[in-house]
Amino acid sequence: MAEERIGVYVCNCGTNISKVVDVEAVAASAQAIPGVAIGRAYKYMCSNPGQEMIVQDIQEHGLTRVVVASCSPRMHEATFRGAIKRAGLNPYMLEMANIREQCSWIHSDVVAATEKAKALVHAAVQRVKFDEPLESRTAPMCASTLVIGGGVTGLTAALELADAGQQVFLVEKQDHLGGNVARLDLTAPHLDSAQDILQSWISRVERHPNIRLFLNSELTALKGFNGNFKPTLRTEDGEPLELDAGSVLVCTGYKEFDASRIEQYGYGRLPDVITSFELEAMLRQGKLETKSGKQPRYVSIIHCVGSRSQEFHRYCSRVCCATALKYALEVKSALPGARVANLYTDMEAFGKGCEDFYRQCAEAKTSFMMYAKDQLPTIRAAAPGDGCGMLITIKEQLSGQEIEMPADLVVLMVSMEPREDAGDMARLVNISCDKDGWFIESHPKLDPVATTTDGVYIAGACQFPRDIPESVTQGRAAVARILAKVAQGQITVDAMYSEVQDKLCAGCQTCFSVCPYGAIEYNAEKHISHIISAVCKACGCCAVACPAGAIKVRHYTDEEIYAQIEGVL
Amino acid sequence: MAVRANPDLIEELDHFGAHDAMKCYQCGNCTAACSHAEDASTYPRRSIHYLQMGLEKPLRSTLDPWLCYYCGKCSEQCPRGAEPGETMMGIRRWLTAEYDFTGIARRLYKSWTAELAAVLALALLTGIGFLAFGFLRGGGNLAVYDGPGAFLPAHSVHIFDWTMGITLAILLNYNCVRMWQFTMRNENALPVRPGLYLRHLLLLPEHFFTQKRLRACENKTPWVTHMVLMFSYLTMLALIMLFLKDMQSGPQVNWYVHFFGYLSAIGLVTTSILAIRGRIKKTEPYQQHSHESDWMFLGLLLFVSVTGVVQHVAHRMGMPTTANVVYVIHMMGVVPMLVLEVPFSKWSHLAYRPLAIYFSALQQAARAEGAVPFGEPAKPRPAA
Repeated sequence: MAEERIGVYVCNCGTNISKVVDVEAVAASAQAIPGVAIGRAYKYMCSNPGQEMIVQDIQEHGLTRVVVASCSPRMHEATFRGAIKRAGLNPYMLEMANIREQCSWIHSDVVAATEKAKALVHAAVQRVKFDEPLESRTAPMCASTLVIGGGVTGLTAALELADAGQQVFLVEKQDHLGGNVARLDLTAPHLDSAQDILQSWISRVERHPNIRLFLNSELTALKGFNGNFKPTLRTEDGEPLELDAGSVLVCTGYKEFDASRIEQYGYGRLPDVITSFELEAMLRQGKLETKSGKQPRYVSIIHCVGSRSQEFHRYCSRVCCATALKYALEVKSALPGARVANLYTDMEAFGKGCEDFYRQCAEAKTSFMMYAKDQLPTIRAAAPGDGCGMLITIKEQLSGQEIEMPADLVVLMVSMEPREDAGDMARLVNISCDKDGWFIESHPKLDPVATTTDGVYIAGACQFPRDIPESVTQGRAAVARILAKVAQGQITVDAMYSEVQDKLCAGCQTCFSVCPYGAIEYNAEKHISHIISAVCKACGCCAVACPAGAIKVRHYTDEEIYAQIEGVL
Repeated sequence: MAVRANPDLIEELDHFGAHDAMKCYQCGNCTAACSHAEDASTYPRRSIHYLQMGLEKPLRSTLDPWLCYYCGKCSEQCPRGAEPGETMMGIRRWLTAEYDFTGIARRLYKSWTAELAAVLALALLTGIGFLAFGFLRGGGNLAVYDGPGAFLPAHSVHIFDWTMGITLAILLNYNCVRMWQFTMRNENALPVRPGLYLRHLLLLPEHFFTQKRLRACENKTPWVTHMVLMFSYLTMLALIMLFLKDMQSGPQVNWYVHFFGYLSAIGLVTTSILAIRGRIKKTEPYQQHSHESDWMFLGLLLFVSVTGVVQHVAHRMGMPTTANVVYVIHMMGVVPMLVLEVPFSKWSHLAYRPLAIYFSALQQAARAEGAVPFGEPAKPRPAA
């Protein structure tokens, strides 16, 4: 240990740190720690001159390890690892002491904050002494992709991948492609036919040499890891089929809310209360009529059925407003004498062209009535003398009036919700669901189609209510991610992962049950656990749970942790 | 109490000129722009909303449209092109039809052909009637205009004028009573005690003669033309109803008949020409959209004014036959104009506007006294 020469760099972060922490005192106190060769303070360590200072010191003073006391490692660890790597050190010979988020930003007492900063730096110095040089490794990347779900998102993604020359396995549970879009008549706001949109893609998918289509099939198991998955399908003929796929793209879509759950709408009880999808079917057949075969004179469309509700789904289903506007126009076009009313809570015509669509719909003399989210309208059958089939009672918000609205046909804009098998799918491909049951993305803004499992991507309305353009965009975004990996030809495995020390492992499989990433395999022959380094995220759960202490987390060894604790005390 | 909506109301109002009301999305810019809107009367927004939702009864009971003078500020501010000013105009036409118990107003407003047919039929009837009267019961000689043997003796025409005037006044008054029932005796209105009716009675002549609410609009031009038109009309009415004998007594005509007659003829011809020109050129915001009834009204007004002038000129220039013929033609315009416009169309607003101001003031006074709407239970008296 005597030959170690450690450099300690204390960052002012402009005045972010230096206004509360005496940085010069911290640098001076670090210099006094045995093994520390240099202690310096500087304005911005992350700046180019700051990094250059570290590089030069390593080269001139022969530093072997480096401590940077600055911001959170989440911010700049990669920056400083890069800097010391440029100077010839192993990038893992670096520790960061977070004296900004964990010190200067949260304290105001200069003396106490400076003491705390000294302690944090001391801990980092003690830890860095035990850091081991680590190397990242590579694994092969299989170019083919498993796409789960043959809706508009899956079709887009499959075609995009196949056109790029890659093999695609497209798995669809139903006996036809198209998903929920295949159930639609026209699409908002341009009133293009959904069938036209789908048909060209479906026929291309069916004929594409790079796409193997599995209808009436589903995924039953997924083994392997990023770049090297081994999915098992149950195919149409009932036979299990194992494939090789480098990436998995989940685009399983959504299902509609069960409207009968809202008692006062009378769905299932009143024959002419129908869901949006039932109206789509009527429109597609060109047969817009009540159950008794009459042309409806008064059509009411109720928005937010199951959406934006404390009782059912708190989220907004996003596509229903524009769809409801579309219905108003389609009904008007089919039955020019009909009067259409939209009973809404808030009008969310957010999509491109949808505000104009809203205006167009108003110009077609559709009426809009606002109800409160906690005061749903009620529907009842009308009396013979009322001149209509049903009466809707609504407490209209803008006028404050309680209004009885005549209706012959009531359309419920049912919300989108996760499929009932979304949880099973999540377990199969090892991704997570949020409280509503939607699949969780890696980062809501910066990484919207990746998941916490490398190599598994999500796109379209399985992640959250999406309209067609968004689903298509997401499908293509996922393809871009996959093709980037394929272009690299191999996957890089992070140097930080857990390892089982075979001799100490008793084969109890406790680690297997705690691993959140499915990174642990059990070797039945040797009776020991094995960690797939490519899947492991070095979270450390298994190391903590292992009763024999047989698991070592690289870069988080017991020695390193103990030294850090000793150091801070 | 839930109000039953009539989803077909908007189609009905379309016939009355409220074509764009459904474009409104209730932002309220119109009300913010209006110099008349108050907390208690948030027009045009509220009326438009009633209309959009098909709330026929509340729309029938509102006074708001009569309190609006269509300066057009609201239409300029509307982000949706919903033409709130024109919508209020349309509602006023519809209200005129609602107040009218005969159903004639509705028929005339809804059908251009019906209106045209009614005007032509009345004109024809008047022409035939006057000629028949002149030849059979009058002077019998078309070449005598004034004096003892006049073709159409002034006293006979006088009796005709008064008969027609009283009939029309009765019709209009009955419509006014219906207006009172709709607006003051509905479940949301406040009961007004007789004392208040008396105390605020002077509001009627005050607003009738000054039209000060119209003057309060930002654009003053409409007030000026409107005042000129109304006073010219009233002057002419007074001359005809009270001094018809002096107008036709002989070659010698009284100075005041000349003076006031010329003044009012100039006023009538000028304002009707200006109004027609404005509507053709769409100068002012309120002249952007013209209902068929607007053209009919202005057309008749100009026709009547011009024929009146021509008849007078012919008389003064010693052309009694021409004067008599033009007189009959003049009456063929006057009768349809008054019969159709006074109780059933445009002219009725002379009564409805001051009444609306009066009623609205009464409602405010009743509210200030703590009255409770008809539809609600009376408030318990505070314990002494």
